[in-house]
Parts: sequence; C-alpha cells; structure tokens
Amino acid sequence: MAETPAIRTEALVKRYGHGGATALKGLDLTVAPGEVFGFLGPNGAGKTTTIRILIDLIRPTSGSVRVLGVEPRSSHELRAKIGYLAGDFVANGRQTGRELLTYLAGLRGGVPAKRIERLASDWDLDLTKRIGSLSKGNRQKIGVLQAFMHRPPLLILDEPTSGLDPFLQQQFVSLVQEAARNGQTVFMSSHVMSEVQQTCDRVGIIRAGSLVAVEHIDELRERALRKIEVRFDSDAPALDVPGVSDVVIDGKVLRCKLSGDADALVKALARHHVVDLISEEPELEEIFFTYYRRTGE
Amino acid sequence: MGVFWKSIRDNRRGWIGWIVALTAVAAMYASFYPSINNPAMADALNSFPQSLKEAFHLEDYTKPENYFAASVFGLLVPILVAVFAISAGVRAIAGDEEAGTLDLVQAQPVSRVSLALQRFLAIVVAMVAIAAVMCLVVIALRGPGQFTALSPGRLAAICVQLALFGVMFAALAYGVGAWTGRRMYAIAVGAVVAVLGYLANSFFTQIDSLTWTQRFSPFDWYLGGEPLKNGVQWGHAGLLLGFAVLFVAAGTWRFNRRDIAV
Repeated sequence: MAETPAIRTEALVKRYGHGGATALKGLDLTVAPGEVFGFLGPNGAGKTTTIRILIDLIRPTSGSVRVLGVEPRSSHELRAKIGYLAGDFVANGRQTGRELLTYLAGLRGGVPAKRIERLASDWDLDLTKRIGSLSKGNRQKIGVLQAFMHRPPLLILDEPTSGLDPFLQQQFVSLVQEAARNGQTVFMSSHVMSEVQQTCDRVGIIRAGSLVAVEHIDELRERALRKIEVRFDSDAPALDVPGVSDVVIDGKVLRCKLSGDADALVKALARHHVVDLISEEPELEEIFFTYYRRTGE
Repeated sequence: MGVFWKSIRDNRRGWIGWIVALTAVAAMYASFYPSINNPAMADALNSFPQSLKEAFHLEDYTKPENYFAASVFGLLVPILVAVFAISAGVRAIAGDEEAGTLDLVQAQPVSRVSLALQRFLAIVVAMVAIAAVMCLVVIALRGPGQFTALSPGRLAAICVQLALFGVMFAALAYGVGAWTGRRMYAIAVGAVVAVLGYLANSFFTQIDSLTWTQRFSPFDWYLGGEPLKNGVQWGHAGLLLGFAVLFVAAGTWRFNRRDIAV
C-alpha cells in the first residue's frame, strides 16, 4: 500500500456566503510525505483559502480533504501535528513572545523550553519584549518559530517570509531545508521565487481557484528560458539553432533566449571568435507568469 | 484548561480593575446610608410626586433594604455590571476574531467548542469574583454603615442575582459574537437589550400600555423580586440562568459550524 499522502484534496470547492464568490473550483492536490511543496499563484487565486481549509479554520463547500490521512474537521488533535504560519501573522500584542510561545507549546502538548530558547537565540529574537513593541520583521520571526518549534510532521506556511529581510529569508530557507532533511513535509505558498527554487521539490500553480500545473522544480528549470549574451570580435553572425529564440543583433553583440540543452548553440558559436559569453540563471518567475496569465482551457 | 487560564491571565488587569471599581461604587453608596437615614431626608423624599418616585425607585429610604435596592444595587452597579459583561462577552470570540488573533489559537489542537466554553467560563469566574468581593465588602460595612438590619444572607442573595444578571449579559454578547463573528453586532444587541431592559423596568412602568414589558426585563429578574427582603428569587434566577445557557449554547453551536473570518 502506498504511503498516505500528507495532503490530499479532491474536487475541493469553496464558496463564501450565499451566492458569494467561488474561491476554489474543484481543487485536486496531492502532497507526498516528506516533500517540500511550493504553492504558487497570483493574489486571490485561492492559496489562503486552501490553507485555511487544511487547518479547519474554514469548511469546504464540497469535495474531500485529508491531512495526514485525517479529515481536518473530524479531529482537532490533528492540528498538534501541524505547524501553521498565517499569511498575516498576528497575535495579541500585550503579551511577551515567551508568554505566547509557552502558551502555544502547552496547547500542543509541550515543547522543551530549551528548544524555544535555542530557536530564539538563533533568530536573534528577544522573547522578553511585548509582541506589540516588536517590529514587523520580529513579529514574523515569532510566527516562524511557533510554526517550527514543536517539530511537526507537517508544516503549512502561508507567505512565510513576508516582512523578513533577505538575510532572514536565507535563514528561513535553511530552516525549511533542515525540516526536509528530518523528513517533515512542508507545504508553503510563496511569492519569493528564490526561496521556492532553493527549497521546493515540486510546485503547484493555482489560478482562479483551480490547480493549473504541478511541476518538479528541476524539470521547470530545464524548460526555463535562459538569457544568453555573446560578444564577438567582429559583427555578430546570424544564427539558426534549435532552442534559440528572440535573437537580437546589436553590432558585435548577440542576445537571445535559450531553452533546454545548450550544446547546439555552443557548437554553432565555436565557428566564430567569441570574446565573451554570458548565460543567466533561468528565471522560473517568467514561467510562472506564463501560467498566471494563461486563460483557463 | 490552557485556554481558560490564558484568558484569566490576559484579562487579569482589566478584570481586577472592574472588581475594584464596582466594589468601590457599591461601598460608596453603602457608606452614604447614615446620612440618608434621618427624618429630614425622609420628608424631602416624600414630597416628590409618586410617579417620579416609582420611576427612580424612590421608596422609604430610611429602611436599608429600600435604600440599598434603589441605590447601592439599583443604579450604577447593574449598569456597570452589564457594561463589563457585554464587553467581556464580545471579546471572547468576536473581538478576537476581528483582531485576527483567533486564527492562531484555533490552529492549535483545541476544539472550537472547548476553546469557546473555556473563555466563557473565565468570564463567569470574573463575574462571580466581582459579585463575591462586592458582597463581602458590603457585609463588612454593615456595622460602620449602620445597616445591620440587612442580614448578610439577604445581601448575599442580591449578589447572587447580580452575578446571574451579569452572566446573562455576558452570554448574550458572547452568543451573538460567536454566532456572527462581528463585534458590532454583539455590542449592539447587548446594549439594546440592556437599555430596553432598563427602560422596561423604570419608565415603561409609568405607561399603562407598556407595563407588561417589565416582566421581560433582566433588571426585573435581578431586582424585581426584592431579594434584599425576600432572599434569592429562584424563578428569576432560573430565567437569568436559562437564557444564559441558551445564548451560550446557540452561539457555541454556530461557532463550531461556521467559517472563521480572515
């Protein structure tokens, strides 16, 4: 028997209110255990709605949901196995960070105080300060820590690095990578492509309430267009090589886009005197944009 | 019981403030009794028109049970208790939900029903603490305040009615808030019931076509049976408690089924 998926939704539909907006239109999503899954899509596509259903903060109109094999609505104990970070993490500002983390740890059945102190010092967070007096970035740190502190089998993170500076984003990436090494499953929505590229095994792209694609990051990277710039010692030659498109010649410089294998292009260039060759890292962002924009089939 | 203790802890300052303020108000009115209890004041009161006396519950103030029912327990105290109860009831679910802070707690392994009831229980404990402290302080003032004619049992009886009165308003605001998730609805319903209830128990009694409304006023259920003379009014206590249970049950039932607002 195959392993129980960490997350599985089938024909998930969510309509808000009576005759209100349909946020999800039959979402089918499967996340394998131990996987780091990026959940991408434009604002309003249904990412947060999906996540809130997984946590049982809202209830689906129809369709089925299983989280770690359990229907979220049927068991509140399930949530002890989940670390959840909301898109706009807010907590009562009159308590200190330690008060909040201790409270949440208690509700989840306990987290060693050492673990909390360790994370706080790793993240350079002062737990004795009242949350209301913290900067947005520091508040977000508390959000990240509370999600990770009890080492849950499943992490559900909604825009986890919003409000974090690039250094902390990098620290967050290591936290996710560590979780992945521990075999924890991570399901996260994100707008930050660099962290998606660094952490995720697969990405699902949601648009207007349905999943339009699920791809392995590596395959996406292979398909991605990379920008190439070649400088010659004389006027640039015209090239006709498979995989190369958008060729622009500007004096001695040739700019083009390359998809897939670079071999044919390199061999074609070898016949000329190449002064400089620049190949940029493929931009996954652009692939995502093509999915975001594509109208429903 | 984590949610219960957290609720107590988060609200401790505010609730201690309410205990102090309400007890101070009751103690101030109580210590005013000796200056009321003289013939000149009795004559002055007797000269007021009868309808005015009824509207303001101005009876023979020289009797402590009348003075205490009208002033100590009749004026500011129930109104303040209603304000406390409504604000606490609103905050339990709807206030937290609108602030966006309910999400985090409800994402923990605690069921909605348990979370909501633990928070309501904390309010009940606060209300009981208010009534108990006020009761003890007023009993302690019997000697210095020259109202030993009021037995501690009767004072305790009115404090029981007062606690139930507060619990009912807390339940109403909690219930509406838990049902709708909207602070304003809970505040509005609580305030309207409090104001109409107050009017029904005072000015409406002067209008023949509206006297029937008094029977439906929580203020009547609290004071109408004159617990200072007659002890705990079990029928009224039952009404206050019954409605409280109904509001809590309905609000919690709906809260367990609905979506939590973003």
